[in-house]
Amino acid sequence: MNGPLIVQSDKTLLLEVDHEQADDCRRAIAPFAELERAPEHIHTYRVTPLGLWNARAAGHDAEQVVDALVRYSRYPVPHALLVDIAETMDRYGRLTLSKHPAHGLVLTTTDRPVLEEVLKSKRITPLVGARIDPDTVVVHPSERGQIKQTLLKLGWPAEDLAGYVDGEAHPIELAEDGWALRPYQKQAVENFWHGGSGVVVLPCGAGKTLVGAGAMAQARSTTLILVTNTVSARQWKHELVRRTSLTEDEIGEYSGTRKEIRPVTIATYQVLTTKRKGVYPHLELFDSRDWGLIVYDEVHLLPAPVFKFTADLQARRRLGLTATLVREDGRESDVFSLIGPKRFDAPWKEIEAQGYIAPADCVEVRVNLTDSERLAYATAETEEKYRFCATTDTKRKVTEAIVRRFAGQQVLVIGQYIDQLDELGEHLGAPVIKGETSNAQREKLFESFRQGEISVLVVSKVANFSIDLPEATVAIQVSGTFGSRQEEAQRLGRVLRPKADGHQAHFYSVVARDTIDQDFAAHRQRFLAEQGYAYRIVDADELLAES
Amino acid sequence: MSTEEKPAAPRSLAEALRARDDASLAALLRSRPDLITPVPTDLTQLATRAGTRASVVRALERLDRFALQTAEALAVAADPASYGELLGLLAGDEGDPAVAAALPRALGVLREQALVWGGDDRLRLVRTARELLTPSPQHPSPTGLGPTVQEATAGMSPGRIQEILAAVGLPSTHDSVSAVAALGDLFTDRTRMAALLADLPEESREVLSRLVWGPPYGQVTHDPAPHLRRLLERGLLLPTAPGTVVLPREVALHLRAGRAHRTPEPVPPPVEVAATHRPQVVDATAAGQALAALTTVEELLKDWDEGGPAVLRAGGLSVRDLKRTAVALDVPEPVAAFWVELAYAAGLLASDGEADERYAATPAYDEWRELPAAERWARLAGAWLLATRTPGLVGGRDAKDRTLSALGPNLDRSAAPEVRHRVLALLAGLPEGAAPTEESVLARLAWERPRRREDDLRARLARWTLSEAELLGVTGRGALSAPGRALIGAPEAQHPAEPAQPEPAGPGDKLPVHHRTAPAPAPPSPAEQAAASAAAARLLAPLLPEPLDHVLLQADLTAVAPGPLERPLAEVLGVLADVESKGGATVYRFTPGSVRRALDAGRTAADLHAFLAAHSRTPVPQPLAYLIDDVARRHGQLRVGAASAYVRCDDDAALSEILADKRSAAMGLRRLAPTVLAAQADPAALLEGLRAMGFAPAAESAAGDVLIARVDAHRTPPRTAPEPVPDGPPVPDGTLLGAAIRAIRAGDLASTAPRKPGPGEDDRTADGELPRTSPAETLATVQAAVLTGEALWIGYVNAEGAASQRVVAPIRVEGGFVTAYDHTADEVRTYPLHRITGVAELADDAR
Repeated sequence: MNGPLIVQSDKTLLLEVDHEQADDCRRAIAPFAELERAPEHIHTYRVTPLGLWNARAAGHDAEQVVDALVRYSRYPVPHALLVDIAETMDRYGRLTLSKHPAHGLVLTTTDRPVLEEVLKSKRITPLVGARIDPDTVVVHPSERGQIKQTLLKLGWPAEDLAGYVDGEAHPIELAEDGWALRPYQKQAVENFWHGGSGVVVLPCGAGKTLVGAGAMAQARSTTLILVTNTVSARQWKHELVRRTSLTEDEIGEYSGTRKEIRPVTIATYQVLTTKRKGVYPHLELFDSRDWGLIVYDEVHLLPAPVFKFTADLQARRRLGLTATLVREDGRESDVFSLIGPKRFDAPWKEIEAQGYIAPADCVEVRVNLTDSERLAYATAETEEKYRFCATTDTKRKVTEAIVRRFAGQQVLVIGQYIDQLDELGEHLGAPVIKGETSNAQREKLFESFRQGEISVLVVSKVANFSIDLPEATVAIQVSGTFGSRQEEAQRLGRVLRPKADGHQAHFYSVVARDTIDQDFAAHRQRFLAEQGYAYRIVDADELLAES
Repeated sequence: MSTEEKPAAPRSLAEALRARDDASLAALLRSRPDLITPVPTDLTQLATRAGTRASVVRALERLDRFALQTAEALAVAADPASYGELLGLLAGDEGDPAVAAALPRALGVLREQALVWGGDDRLRLVRTARELLTPSPQHPSPTGLGPTVQEATAGMSPGRIQEILAAVGLPSTHDSVSAVAALGDLFTDRTRMAALLADLPEESREVLSRLVWGPPYGQVTHDPAPHLRRLLERGLLLPTAPGTVVLPREVALHLRAGRAHRTPEPVPPPVEVAATHRPQVVDATAAGQALAALTTVEELLKDWDEGGPAVLRAGGLSVRDLKRTAVALDVPEPVAAFWVELAYAAGLLASDGEADERYAATPAYDEWRELPAAERWARLAGAWLLATRTPGLVGGRDAKDRTLSALGPNLDRSAAPEVRHRVLALLAGLPEGAAPTEESVLARLAWERPRRREDDLRARLARWTLSEAELLGVTGRGALSAPGRALIGAPEAQHPAEPAQPEPAGPGDKLPVHHRTAPAPAPPSPAEQAAASAAAARLLAPLLPEPLDHVLLQADLTAVAPGPLERPLAEVLGVLADVESKGGATVYRFTPGSVRRALDAGRTAADLHAFLAAHSRTPVPQPLAYLIDDVARRHGQLRVGAASAYVRCDDDAALSEILADKRSAAMGLRRLAPTVLAAQADPAALLEGLRAMGFAPAAESAAGDVLIARVDAHRTPPRTAPEPVPDGPPVPDGTLLGAAIRAIRAGDLASTAPRKPGPGEDDRTADGELPRTSPAETLATVQAAVLTGEALWIGYVNAEGAASQRVVAPIRVEGGFVTAYDHTADEVRTYPLHRITGVAELADDAR
């Protein structure tokens, strides 16, 4: 017994990455364990019911899971844990949703008491119809998503074998001229297609759009793509035109400004969740065509109402794309039951090692508040404290120093507070992109940044998601949305795209010392450290002295 | 067995005992230790004692199922019975090789225990045992047999018996005794009986078959149906009471083909193997669990280091504290109860006995902690094996419906050590690495002690033993580990080819019948256990992972110890970082709080850096080094201390002068800043001292103002002014007045109401005086008033002894109380009858 894995009693798995069997072990445990932290020496995986059911959905059984644990474990695996794993996995598939030739959608069971138990639940009763026989009960077709969600909450996840509608066929091909899908992208598309529906987890900059395009080329049907905002919608369109056989005319944009419905339609979450007089007027989009595939970009940001609509779309193939399954609101189980289980993931570091994303140098710069600022901070109202320390003047000096140091390189300054950004923009002589900047203006600025006409760009959180700035090599974060982990991940993603000249990427976080800014930063930084991006911490004085 | 060896067949148990050799007497006393407390004077007394009810019940309770079945069979057989008869009862007419093979052993056990005596031709069950086991209507036997023909016909008229003889075609006899004997002979004669039964209609046979396996009693109506009547006529059913009939034992035995039990169980049910694991896997799993057990106990007691939970008044741990402990240990509550009880049983924790009683680790815990891991485990496991305390009961309720709390009273079950030992011995009997099914273990235990199943305690104990053994690492994956085997003193793992036990060739009255080396039924003595534990520790030691002297530090501010750590390292790390995950490895997380804790514990930043560098296999990550420096930078920046007074002065030279002066030593002065001195003396003493030194200090208030000292300014603490004591009551308001007047009027009515003279009351009683009536009169008058609804005038003495007069309208009288509407108080009140001194009706004109 000298394996690379240590199984803890709290169901975490510690994998020693430098061990010779580490790779084999990783492959063996990846189907059922979620990678929680991936710092340099020991990676932590967690075995959760959701993960175990994911594995069952992907066709693994308890025997394989137990075998993987026992085979690679350095110490004996606690018996209770093995029993628990077997029992948890055994819960999946006792109930199945399927199509009955006469009765339509039915819920069947292989274990009658389980069906009795769930039918007793008040939350299930309204979702089901007549009992056909002791083991089968009719489910209202419209409640397919709802019942899956509820059954998961009850701890009896249902296997959905009811299949998918093909949707309206539409020819889509990948135009692989001079580029090709990377191996992991191919693998992701394959896993997704094989599984039917589900989520692909890839780091920012690893080419999630192409996974989407690959899935569309597989489906060859009309596709609805849901994205976070208009800029992102345009980028999807741009990328699809470039990478596939689709033409501009085949791709429609459904946003606040344009309402086009075409064989491939890209809609924003915002327009879908707009509520007027208590109703969602744009919901008809879902029924406007016979969609064969629905792609959810940035699944971790999926707003709650979209979950609700998604529950009604269970007969269509669904692909979720995200950099992280971590949701600040903890609705991971809804993603599992409504969009589908995780079908593919690859740790950042692994893709970085393959050279598809740039390595990054992460630095936290700690600035001291001046004495008068400290006094003012001490007396600030609680809700104002973060704003106050996050926008301290000293940060400006540090930011300027960093920008000076990387003169000639493409630098992004990212922040939360508009007046702070305006001021920075003024001092740095750089344009500022914020909420009020028109989309046309945004795209113009992005383009000139891309062309290298401007080298410094100050952006607010509107640019957090899905903007593509290939040549940014330095990102400076001056303030953030409190301790949001996924925001940090997204921002780092801005500089992780491979650089044409092989420049190393730099990610600076400027943080005010001994304030809640530092606490929030610690929270965000922990997330990245767990992804394997070690931070260095430097004092502002040191940095200023150097430059 | 020849009888030549025996000069004469024994005529009593005492004689039988006298014929035994010492070894066999020793065997008797070992299996029935109650016989030698106190030591009997002679064998007659021993025999008498062996025949007492309590002792026999005890002995029967300790019999295994087949020995008990043998005894039960003897109890339904003739007295004395021959070996052949007994075998027939147990094996049936067809014979059963398994029974035939097992019977000598069972009989041997009964003989050894002095429950059966006499030679093979004259086997006698001790009378008390016979009484206990013979079927009677009150105590149906597990055999389901009824009384014999002789017993059932005891009260029957001779004429009726002769009628039965005639009905079955037997010649009539002169007396009932020979008639009954003839009937009995017929019923035991298989051929004639078969013919008799064949003659019966199907319905009648159906009735018999319903009664054959018991209970043998049936109900009949006054006028039985023809098929029943046929049975009654032939004596195949005999009346026991009006409306009740019984199937005589002989008939039942015939129908059962001679068998006393439906299913004789001559061989113990085998312990079935649920799964077989490689012995290495079992030992490794058990060792892992053993280590976890040690960590858990240490963690538990460390958690209680600074003030453990309070002891309940009735003793034990409160449910809330148990819950909290369970959360702290991250285990379910029953498991937490097990660990707590284990630590208690091992003497590692106890109540501190202070006024405010709390649980805490004992000094033995500190000694225990110093032992090597394997020995620590052996101590725990040994204590567990011998403990009579049963944590499994925690959370349940006792006979008085009180919750049984962990560490509390009433958790001792004397059967626990024996059951634990027995369960583990059964496990030891399996091939190496084999895990049994729980049901088969329980079935086996039930077979071994069939009479002790009433409250199912043994089954529960066995179930707890299996789960606790797994928790403790005595078993791994359900199979007994090598250290576990040593712990119960079992020989090295048995290999499948077990040498057949030489069974005694045949039954014999002279013991030793068999001196098998079966696992001792009783758990070993503490001394034996200590030796076994030591052996177990020796086996466990190489299985436990070596403690490590290093950790892996990572940039996400965690440290991973990929195995158990050496104690000093673990202790320092436990202070410097928070434990995040436990198990084979330990994950520590460094936080500003944890680093500060280490600094508070007296370490410096440099110490910590050196410590981490020394014990990390990997370079210390920069963020961690930075964290330590950052926390150290601010650590101790603010200083807090206690002082009673201060001296401040803008002229630091003056303060230096005071400090330099020897006379200031008593004031405990310390310079905090150039212009401030802190003093341990209180302000008054300080002022006094400074004045004595020739200074002219002024006192300062909390706000920093100079206090102007005036003449004596001694004050009491805040006091309220005394309440004024007015001459008369305050002027009443309208409501009060109204109520007062009403009360006065009612009282007036009571005192002035002209009343009829009470019975037996002479005219001397003036108006307005309390009436005096005897209790009987009082009761009668009040009861009458309840009926008529009239108001009464009563004299009443309240609890303080104050007498008063009231006009009341009684509503009911019960239990010595009168409930009445009191006109004086204007409400319904209840008066104890004995406090009513007298009662009188109101004169008619006062109503």
